[in-house]
Amino acid sequence: MEGGERALATQTRESRSGRRRFLKTLGAGAATLLALEVLESTARPAEAAPAAPPAALPAERPQEDVLLRMQRDLQRALRKPAHLRRWAMVIDLRKCVGCSACTIACVAENKLPPGVVYRPVVDEEIGTYPHVTRRFLPRPCMQCDNPPCVPVCPVNATYKRADGIVAINYDQCIGCRYCIVACPYNARTFDAGEHYTDGTPGRSPVEEVPNFEYGKPWKREGDASPVGNARKCHFCLHRLEAGMLPECVTSCIGRATYFGDAEDPEALVSELMHRPNAVRLKEELGTKPRVYYLL
Amino acid sequence: MTERNGENGRITRRQLLKAGALVGGGALLGQAGRLLASAQEVAQSPAVQYPLAQAENQLYSSCLMCNTGCGIKVKVLDGVAAKIDGNPYNPFNLVPHVSYKTAPHQVAGVDAPLCPKGQAGLLSVYDPYRLRVVLKRAGPRGSNKWRTIPFDQAVREIVDGGKLFADIGEDRHVPGLRELWALRDPKVAKEMDAFVRRIRAEKDPAKKQALVREFQQTFRDHLHTLIDPDHPDLGPKNNQFLYFWGRQKAGRTEFARRFVQESFGSVNFHGHTTVCQGSLYFACKAMSEQYEFDEKDGKMKWTKGRKFYWQADTEHSEFVVFVGASPFEGNYGPTNRVPRLTEGLATGRLKFAVVDPRLSKTAAKAWKWIPARPGTEGALALAVIRWILDHQRYDARYLRNANKAAAEEDGEPTWCNATWLVKLEKGRPEGFLRASDLGLPVQKRSQEVKGKRVEYEFDPFVVLRDGRPVPFDPYDEQNPVEGDLLVDTTLNGIRVKSGLQLLGEEARRHSLQEWAEICGVRAEDIEELAREFTSHGKRAAADIHRGVSQHTNGFYNVWAWMTLNVLIGNLDWKGGMASAKVYDPSGEKEGQPFNLKELHPKRTTPFGVSIIRHETKYEESTLFRGYPAKRPWYPLSSDVYQEIVPSIGDAYPYPIKIAFLYMGSPAYSLPAGHTTIEVLKDPNKLPLFVAVDITVGETSMYADYILPDLSYLERWEFQGSHPNMTVKVQPVRQPVIPPVPETVRVFGEEMPISLEAFLLACAERLGLPGFGKDGFGPGQDLRRPEDFYLKMVANVAAGDRPGDAVPDASDEEVRLFLQARRHLPKSVFDPEKWKRAVGEAWWRKVVYVLNRGGRFQEYQKAFKGEQLANQYGTLVSIYSEKVAKTKNSMTGKPFPGLPAYIPAPRDALDRPVEDEKAGYDLHLITYREVSHTKSRTGTNYWLLALLPENFVLVHRQDAERLGLKDGDLVRVTSASNPDGMWPVLDGHSKPMVGRVRVTEGIRPGVVAFSLGHGHWAYGSVDLVIDGKVLKGDARRGRGIHANAAMRVDPVLKNVCLSDPAGASAVFYDTRVKLVREAS
Repeated sequence: MEGGERALATQTRESRSGRRRFLKTLGAGAATLLALEVLESTARPAEAAPAAPPAALPAERPQEDVLLRMQRDLQRALRKPAHLRRWAMVIDLRKCVGCSACTIACVAENKLPPGVVYRPVVDEEIGTYPHVTRRFLPRPCMQCDNPPCVPVCPVNATYKRADGIVAINYDQCIGCRYCIVACPYNARTFDAGEHYTDGTPGRSPVEEVPNFEYGKPWKREGDASPVGNARKCHFCLHRLEAGMLPECVTSCIGRATYFGDAEDPEALVSELMHRPNAVRLKEELGTKPRVYYLL
Repeated sequence: MTERNGENGRITRRQLLKAGALVGGGALLGQAGRLLASAQEVAQSPAVQYPLAQAENQLYSSCLMCNTGCGIKVKVLDGVAAKIDGNPYNPFNLVPHVSYKTAPHQVAGVDAPLCPKGQAGLLSVYDPYRLRVVLKRAGPRGSNKWRTIPFDQAVREIVDGGKLFADIGEDRHVPGLRELWALRDPKVAKEMDAFVRRIRAEKDPAKKQALVREFQQTFRDHLHTLIDPDHPDLGPKNNQFLYFWGRQKAGRTEFARRFVQESFGSVNFHGHTTVCQGSLYFACKAMSEQYEFDEKDGKMKWTKGRKFYWQADTEHSEFVVFVGASPFEGNYGPTNRVPRLTEGLATGRLKFAVVDPRLSKTAAKAWKWIPARPGTEGALALAVIRWILDHQRYDARYLRNANKAAAEEDGEPTWCNATWLVKLEKGRPEGFLRASDLGLPVQKRSQEVKGKRVEYEFDPFVVLRDGRPVPFDPYDEQNPVEGDLLVDTTLNGIRVKSGLQLLGEEARRHSLQEWAEICGVRAEDIEELAREFTSHGKRAAADIHRGVSQHTNGFYNVWAWMTLNVLIGNLDWKGGMASAKVYDPSGEKEGQPFNLKELHPKRTTPFGVSIIRHETKYEESTLFRGYPAKRPWYPLSSDVYQEIVPSIGDAYPYPIKIAFLYMGSPAYSLPAGHTTIEVLKDPNKLPLFVAVDITVGETSMYADYILPDLSYLERWEFQGSHPNMTVKVQPVRQPVIPPVPETVRVFGEEMPISLEAFLLACAERLGLPGFGKDGFGPGQDLRRPEDFYLKMVANVAAGDRPGDAVPDASDEEVRLFLQARRHLPKSVFDPEKWKRAVGEAWWRKVVYVLNRGGRFQEYQKAFKGEQLANQYGTLVSIYSEKVAKTKNSMTGKPFPGLPAYIPAPRDALDRPVEDEKAGYDLHLITYREVSHTKSRTGTNYWLLALLPENFVLVHRQDAERLGLKDGDLVRVTSASNPDGMWPVLDGHSKPMVGRVRVTEGIRPGVVAFSLGHGHWAYGSVDLVIDGKVLKGDARRGRGIHANAAMRVDPVLKNVCLSDPAGASAVFYDTRVKLVREAS
């Protein structure tokens, strides 16, 4: 319990050295902004599942929230053959207010236990009084096109999908944690089977509700998956397939997180990821993240 | 007609026992809703891989994890709320929100944003420490020893009184409600009230005494119903029953008011306003007073000031200065406010400045951060005013308009009294100059009052126009009158000045440099701020909050900043200042079907001075014996939260015998809240103390009885709006999950234990009119909460005028309405009873509103051209003769009638408090983390995961000076709490110790802690229930809550420092020391 709490808490406030690392990365940052290498599609259970009809949307109006525009972009992408979509995320740091709505929304959506977090937000203080500010950095899985976590998996449980998402096959994962160590972004955490309401008069029913990761219901009971697995952000694949944006996007009160099909020139993300102020984290590692930041 | 599963949603004792959730003899609950069936049941079909996206599994309601109350979409799986997102119909969540006409199926897949507190609401609702049954104390108050008792027993004991605690050795008679329900005849109450008004209005002491004797003679048969026949203005014994609350929204407010005031007849019905931002509300109330004919007094007077305030329409602003306000963390945000700011930041439409001693998340994005010294906010405003006046950067065209016709000529929705002439009495500005002062005619007017024609006089106000006096009526729509802005002259031997002239004189008491030194900021920053503020026409705004108001000078700080908005004439303009507008649920508007106030067979008139002496002058009372009064009176304010418990303690102006506390925790929330514990734990001071709470909290732990309540996902309320919301709204909170508390029977009806069940049951046992059979009138019963609340929903559906009603729900929508509630038990959802409550004519409209989580105006309708459509639209005052003629009850000195800088802090006798001279070298402030809301979120495990404990923020320079480093433990001590302790129980104190976080982001000399952590109850400690120990969870008590270090008033000694005018409880004027603790 303690450990779990610590994990979440420390990830939301990084050390000053972490900040320096980040700034250095930005300094080196103007390198390759795009890497649209299309990987060969591997047939996996979750990908093969038939998609439900996408959720209905209200009639389009001249002025509407950017979330609706992106959801229309998303549903347009869903009408294409699956292998022609390439999901990407853009996070506008000017609009991120460090509220952690995304962090908690993700916990709630994916029923994440203590110690497991898919999308921490780093809160850094920069400068000396009175010239001081704070920077907020949400840090989801980068869904790298060259993911260091994939080759280290001894059982091929983690894999790159044609649509760009790095997924985990929970049924296959043996919980060896090699991928957790391999990820340069600390995007993966381990599900040790804990519950937030352990040690209280009763477990909260919220912790017993299934999540719907990868399009099927998962209940965390005993040692059954995803307990004992490595876990990470999957761009809310189960929501994408229902025609809905990832939870971190829909929960974002600053409208700082953009999402869509990078292969669709009409999509808002395609426009934003090519802006001159767009950068990716740790470009120098050659991981080719699918998450971009606007500075 | 519904596809309800009989088992769904019912919690049986057997299931609970099976789930292992019961500890302490059945008091507490860890499980709610039916235990989950297998997941396959909900998601077997390949077409339904994601059941949360289906409209049939969604219900719309309103959040209450903080009082912003954003819209929520609650997604239900097998009777359990599985996920909460934002409501796309609600403008608090989407910008713009979707059209109200959109069918619910079309937004089933649209999730709208919601802040982390809202997202984490599930963990608060399904908190393992929630109460299901009634607790009665089994030891001294605060001993944490309880026993569970049947609901009916609790009601019987509370109503009938008796030796209720004889079993634990307390041989005293406890009064019941029946004993205090002394005056029962509404006709007598009304006559007494009218007579007491005459007594109060009489200024001559001898004549006042004579009137009291006449009163005693007139009501000789009823004197036994009074608290004190020699002081009839204290009112009847009914007033010795007090109902007070921390957070109560419309709906529950009307329900409880019906019980306490309209049926029982007590005046003591008080909210918590002054602990939040009292002086903000009451300064704006003073600014919004209107000069009108008053029916009760039969004459014209300043009246109808609105307890409200303005906030910026940041969606259209080009420049905003946030003062003591952080919309990214609090400030009636963040979900609604943030997107309206971040869009502006990213596109370059907007820049903003932040005045705050701490580098808030908002300040982090600011064009300019001005960490002014706390308590000097008014000085900073006057500095900006000075610069604006010196450089003539005000909107002269707006300010010249003295009346409505002049404003209309300029297309201005509002006008102000900057040009009105004020008379100086011995050099002091007091009343406005009137036509009669110049020998000009006074108008005779008359008005129909209850069938009688009442004659009265209107003595016009006067401006100077090109050197000549012009009398006028502020509301004249035909004859525009403009005045000269700066006037200082003598007319008919009377020295007069214009309001703007007087304001300028206040602002010129110091040079810009001197003001800058007072505030501890650079004069250049003030100048740049003033220039920017006056460089965007009406699309600039000063948006202020608690940091301005919670000082001893809060009222005047607020008035000064709000006056800046008046100087640029931005009220009701896009990008300027907005005020809240709601669809009224009360039924008092034309075309609304159910006027709940009128629907009462025997409504009474509560009268008498309240326990907090609000909205009443000490000088008019029969208790007046010169200055100082025993405790302060608050003629300009109400809901003076910090005065309630200490006044009970001092029995001033009379003893309170029974108190009900609903959803409040004064011990935790108030500055110096520890002083309330001494009173609350003493049965001699408060003989019967009943709390309605969701768990055993920091204050309810001192109660005699705790009645479990419904959470915000289980109950009804009307959330209303906030001033920054330009769209007219009325979000409705409704039951979306099965109730957690046990089901009981009241008036023959099944319902969960709750505030409503408790009040209904008390009414049933008392035989109180207005409840039960024919409670609304012949043939109209009030047996169930829904009988009341659905009528309010129907009023919202009807709109605010004839022809404003929502459409009828289609058959498809009615089907969805029933389907989406299939998991709710009959104790909270019985479609036939619901329909009966509003009748066939309104049923489908009610369904239409509930299917959308309330009523929301179309986005486009919120604006008209460059203006806001939902307007304040009337006179606003920068000078108030009403305030200028009101006296401080402790000093006898009148309050200033216009914005002024009064150095803080000051005690109740208006003397400076100078603890820095005693070595208390640091200035303590508080702040809000975006993930917390004062007392009710610090135990939410998801939110605790973000921040397991809070910190004491210390500037690096102070840390170096004191030899402190990150992570060190320090105790916070002050002159009024030198040990730095919370006196929780006899022999048990909780030290105020927290971890240091060293930062550059705070003004040196200031230290801060965030509110929400550091609990000593609320599941953080062990309880004994029915003789068994229920283990607390130490995670819930981590961090520091340093309110007990806040300064106790040195005069009154049992309350925090307070603003004598606006009544704010003072959070930000305490000097402290940090004492290192062994780690």
